[in-house]
Amino acid sequence: MSIEQAVRFAEIIMTFAYLQQSLEFVRGLQPEKALGIVRAVLSVVLFIGFQTVYVEAGLLIIALMLLHRFQGPYNGGSDCMSILVLLCLFLSHIAPSKFWQEMALGYLAFQLTFSYFQSGYIKVINPDWRSGRALRDVFALTAYPVSEHLREWAKSPRLLWCMSWSVILFELVFPLSLLCYTTLIIALSLAALFHLANACLFGLNRFFWIWPAAYPVIIWLQHRLLH
Amino acid sequence: MFRFEFYLRKNKMLKLILPVVFPSWRFFSSIGASPRIQFAFLQNESDDPQLWQDFRPRPERVSFVEGLRRLLWNPQWNETLYINTCAEHLFDEPSPMREQEIMRRILAAVSRGEITSEYKATFLLFRICTIIRDRNEITQPVVFVSKPEALLGNAL
Repeated sequence: MSIEQAVRFAEIIMTFAYLQQSLEFVRGLQPEKALGIVRAVLSVVLFIGFQTVYVEAGLLIIALMLLHRFQGPYNGGSDCMSILVLLCLFLSHIAPSKFWQEMALGYLAFQLTFSYFQSGYIKVINPDWRSGRALRDVFALTAYPVSEHLREWAKSPRLLWCMSWSVILFELVFPLSLLCYTTLIIALSLAALFHLANACLFGLNRFFWIWPAAYPVIIWLQHRLLH
Repeated sequence: MFRFEFYLRKNKMLKLILPVVFPSWRFFSSIGASPRIQFAFLQNESDDPQLWQDFRPRPERVSFVEGLRRLLWNPQWNETLYINTCAEHLFDEPSPMREQEIMRRILAAVSRGEITSEYKATFLLFRICTIIRDRNEITQPVVFVSKPEALLGNAL
């Protein structure tokens, strides 16, 4: 995959994620409602590929306004990744040379890899995660499970122990998938399934759309590093 | 004076931007106190709340089709997650902005007809409980109670 193709694919997936988030804001309160409308329009324009740099600059300004409005991200990690993808794609367009363009996209690929690895690391050093207790608490106590029926999963410690270790191991070994194209594609497919499960179990639908926006960039980086 | 205020504002904005540009991906690093929002209607501002209700209680089940729909359209759930974030901030320190954010969104739910009262209420207040596990014991202390807010044109 060429760098231009990676950027364009990433932009297309990102615009879909931005459109989805923006339409949800439109249903809400002011001023995010107005900002959501403008952001939705800009997302459509970016999808078409018209005046990409200016549109991405506009989306970045709105991202700052929303950060200020909510005094931080509205939806935690998914908002962080949304801004990070947008910022790195924007920087890749205005980069003064090929080197800086690659640095901007390389940073995005690094953050994507690190997002999985660090999540796995902070779990594996926590005894509650290693024993499966932490995931039981997620289902039993936190506000995340989307239905009361799902809370019953807290009564299946063996299942949750297996789930905990599957997630921990996957997140920890994710960086190794960069060693070969086939393993990377398998890892990204598993990662997408992981986000799908999080969306179904915990309602984290925004993660499901924005994380894959960075996948074309990591596929490009893997090709760039190994060839 | 003006320069100092500008610096403070800029610094505040930097505090918001830096964690996004250099994020920490410590998802579920520890499972701490989990907030629950409850609200109560009042007939008069000075009344004691009689009935606390959970704000947006979870459904018993979510069907496969509903799950698919929520992948694309889940504004209410995402707003609830944001309200929980505001509540978690209120655990740590008082914040009129966070308190107002929660109240605004509950009032908007009343205004949309998502929440209704059986009697004619003119005020509403909310409280935050936390679900805490201490070894094998689970407790649910109340950590915050808001001031009553007039329902204004939304009176039920």
